[in-house]
Amino acid sequence: MKSFACLLLCWMASLGAAEDRVVSAAETAYAKGDYATAVEQWSEEARRDGVSAGLLSALGNAEWRLGRKGRAMVCWERALLLDPRDPVALAGIRHALAAGGTERPAPTWAETYASFLTEDTWLILATTFFWVATLCVVIPRLRRRSASEWNHRTRVGMLTLLALCIPGLWGGRSLSARAVVRKTEVSLRLTPTLFGEPLNGVAEGDVVRTDRPLNGHVRVTTADGKAGWLRTGEIEVIRGATLPADLDQKAAP
Amino acid sequence: MRRFLASTMLLFLGLIAQAEDRVSWEITPRVTAPGQPFRLQIIVESDIVLGGAQQVDKEIRPPRGLALRLSGQIVRSDSNEATLNFSGVAPDQEGEYVIPGFNLRFARKIIPVTPITLIVRKSAAYRRTAQARAELVLPDRTFYVGELIRGAIHLRGGDDEAVVASFGLESVAEGFTFAVTADRQPLPTELGQGMRTSFDLTPIREGTSELSLRGTMLIQNMDSTAFGNGNRDRPFTFRRKLSVEHVPERGRPADWTGAIGTFTAEAVQVSKDRPEVGEPIRLRAILTGTGNLDRLIPPEVPSNEFWDVLPATERRRHAEEQRFFVYTLVPRLPGKLLTPALRFSTFNPLTKQFSRIEFKPVEVTVTGNAPAQVDLVTADPSAPVGAKPKAATGLAAPAPQRGSAHFRGVPAWSLASSGAFWSSNALLLTALLSLTAVALSLGYLAAHPEIRRRRRARSIVRTALSTTESARRRGDRPAFALAAVHALQVGVAALLDTEEAAMTQGDLERVLPGVSRPLLDGLFGQAYGERFAAEAGATGSPNEEETLALLRRLLSLL
Repeated sequence: MKSFACLLLCWMASLGAAEDRVVSAAETAYAKGDYATAVEQWSEEARRDGVSAGLLSALGNAEWRLGRKGRAMVCWERALLLDPRDPVALAGIRHALAAGGTERPAPTWAETYASFLTEDTWLILATTFFWVATLCVVIPRLRRRSASEWNHRTRVGMLTLLALCIPGLWGGRSLSARAVVRKTEVSLRLTPTLFGEPLNGVAEGDVVRTDRPLNGHVRVTTADGKAGWLRTGEIEVIRGATLPADLDQKAAP
Repeated sequence: MRRFLASTMLLFLGLIAQAEDRVSWEITPRVTAPGQPFRLQIIVESDIVLGGAQQVDKEIRPPRGLALRLSGQIVRSDSNEATLNFSGVAPDQEGEYVIPGFNLRFARKIIPVTPITLIVRKSAAYRRTAQARAELVLPDRTFYVGELIRGAIHLRGGDDEAVVASFGLESVAEGFTFAVTADRQPLPTELGQGMRTSFDLTPIREGTSELSLRGTMLIQNMDSTAFGNGNRDRPFTFRRKLSVEHVPERGRPADWTGAIGTFTAEAVQVSKDRPEVGEPIRLRAILTGTGNLDRLIPPEVPSNEFWDVLPATERRRHAEEQRFFVYTLVPRLPGKLLTPALRFSTFNPLTKQFSRIEFKPVEVTVTGNAPAQVDLVTADPSAPVGAKPKAATGLAAPAPQRGSAHFRGVPAWSLASSGAFWSSNALLLTALLSLTAVALSLGYLAAHPEIRRRRRARSIVRTALSTTESARRRGDRPAFALAAVHALQVGVAALLDTEEAAMTQGDLERVLPGVSRPLLDGLFGQAYGERFAAEAGATGSPNEEETLALLRRLLSLL
């Protein structure tokens, strides 16, 4: 118990220290308009300490300022995976859609519903509700006793909450199945082949819904509903490890 | 002396009588129908040689709605008679129209003409479609200052007459600007033979004004002979009072710049849809419709973060009722950009409502690299000197330190895509379901013990069948009977839910009705007879086939 209290105190102290942090060099560089330095320092911080929603959204802002729409959109979308209500990421995406010429599929009602929580949170909640409801059903039978009134109430409550989680799960699944176009001049192809007939142009920063992969291509659907194939290297899935992939860097031999 | 005076007086009176001018006129037909052409002939007889008439048209003042034109005069140089012919068209309203008295100015004398009355009656026989006629096409509604009103005069041929020319169009339109846009154009096919003169009117002041138009058309009779051309002229005149108002101030949008009419935003075109950063492209918005297109002020399009917007010259195609707004756009950033939106308000004089015209932005893919920094700086005159200008952008201020460092990290995979998560849940669920099923089964069996008993009985009967078969092959009759009786007792006990040792032949008959009593006696005697008497076991031998059939019958009941 003592060790637990010590750990809690240490954690609280570190939180307090975090609140008192001074403005970082990256923030200063961003404020001065030196966005390249800001990107460099925030990326270094992310690689060193891991990313947070605030850091990713700030990085997205700096990338946008540098005109790298694809990287910016990836940062903002990943920030929303961590915190669906991150104001900086939301403002960035809104700005990119309104004035930046990027396109993003209009969220369905299930996706809007799912955006209240993260996808994993929805799943954890649904699993918890499911198991509680299941145990409420099973345990009285195993004990060969009739279920109490409390058991019935818990059972109904859990099943109701589970039903409320289902749209969130569905929306979270479709939210995860999206990617950001990373190349500037990309054409949607009719077939997943090297010389597939170009159907429609998509621009860097556009968000597309992804479908099945085939032959080094991924079937995608654009915001205006046009479906076709893009090369795997032309898009970056929103759910990723940390920072946006550096597509300019050549792979090691 | 008296005779001399009398003769002088007679001579004087005779001279006076000789000097009186005689003027007579005739209208053909005498009574006209509304809109019917007529001919007025004036015959003058004088005491002197008259000479040619001069400026007769200038003095004659026909009443409102009546068209009248001098079409010819017959004057002989050595005669004191003159004949003047006028062609006219009766007004459209019934009544008596008086042409005020006027003077006929001849070379040597001025002859006054008394007022002439034209009688217009609807009852007069007249087929309007037979004659050539003029029609004014002008909307009958309230007009607005600055509006462009399209009007036309249709000179339509009739069944008996064709319009071959027109000339001398005069207009009096106070409070309007008047311009002929197309003269003597052929009429549309559905209107028949004739010609059309189109004009534009624009009210320039509020109030009621009168538009007066008059002219002459040259007509030709259809049945003209080969020796005469049959051409003659016919005047037309129109007078229309027009009501003009200002565009209402109530509900007038701020971006209304004088557009009156019905317009449609047709299309937006760009000269290049894949420009590079910094490469100027031309944006052309096409507006169509009817209205004062040439008076429209091109909507202002401010520069923004993505576009530099420069003014450009624009031209208009009048015949196609189109107006182009042209801008030069210079992209500032790469990517898929939307051209700036063009919008302005218009006033529809028909519905008397303001509406908004908006050209949809066009998507342009800009290639190339972005400059290091792109900020649109908004100048604020009231800002203090040296203050840092604020960037006009939709991005929020970044807050990288927001959130705790203890919760950092984006999961590389979602929980939903984790196989371990789903397999562990499935394993747990399977185990739980299995456990539940076992518990339920056990509980059911505990609640229904007859299931077990019958199962056991079935097993015993099946074993007895095989035992009896083997005993029969061996010829061991006691073993055969013992196994059969035991099986019968167990099976019947399971069906009657009683103890098997207590089963008697009577119980067997209850469960297996119609069973042979001697068969049972034989079986029971051979099975248990030795317990009571040594020779009892040898008395009678049961039919083995019947016994086996009985066992199978019992097995089917279990």
